[in-house]
Amino acid sequence: MSWHHEIEQIVLPDAFWGEIVSHCKRKLAGDFLPGESEVKRAYGILAGVQEGKELRVKLVLPVKKNARNQGPLKTYMDNMMTEHAVASTTPLSQRGWITDPEELMDCFQQCDKQNLQIFGTYHMHIVPWEGDPIRDTPTVLDTVLAKDSNLFSFIISMVDMENPSMRAFYEGALEKPTPLIINS
Amino acid sequence: MATIIIPFPFRKHTDSQREVTVSGNTLSESLEDLLKQHSGLQVIHDQPGLLSIFINGKAVAATPDEWKNIAITDSDEISLIIPIAGG
Repeated sequence: MSWHHEIEQIVLPDAFWGEIVSHCKRKLAGDFLPGESEVKRAYGILAGVQEGKELRVKLVLPVKKNARNQGPLKTYMDNMMTEHAVASTTPLSQRGWITDPEELMDCFQQCDKQNLQIFGTYHMHIVPWEGDPIRDTPTVLDTVLAKDSNLFSFIISMVDMENPSMRAFYEGALEKPTPLIINS
Repeated sequence: MATIIIPFPFRKHTDSQREVTVSGNTLSESLEDLLKQHSGLQVIHDQPGLLSIFINGKAVAATPDEWKNIAITDSDEISLIIPIAGG
């Protein structure tokens, strides 16, 4: 059974919003951590608790490794890119991201220890498109990759790096936006 | 009876249960029992190569042929991991 119908809003405390923006800016600046995939894209996991009809973010887990070109995951991503990615000057092999299983397992274990539930992923868009200058919504590819994930997709617009913004969509579906409140 | 931890995306197929107790002496038998209890979880076979399995936090061989050779004891905790992807 899908649970998102129960959720009326998602609350993201300022401090966690700051962590997410810092993650994005660091990756865009090419400042990579040891063991981190050296790609200028930021993606991560959000976990927290459900309080009535509200989801409250309690943990931001930036994902370090992009397993995009590892074994069977590469085949899967190549197929998805070929079928659903819009044309771009960036080669398909350098587009898209997918979590490394070991790192994801670590994320699950961290959340379990803190009794938190993983309920979403985030990633940023940086290039404005014709007719879509802000880019704070999921692409067709985002929607396809989030299908049946049972997770919210949080899309960060970093088109204007000084004024980033973020929106949430259940399973990356444009028709399923969920109000996101950023507060202290 | 071993325990299988269900990844969040698949809990829609287990009535939101986080974990399921299964019988079986091997990984293969344990997964078969899981699918008997929750047939919606057949989706784990939909994307070959995407499913990763951890036993007590350690990754194990990924191919179904190898699952029948992996012994499972009652105290084992089996985690199923499906990667999260984005554009």
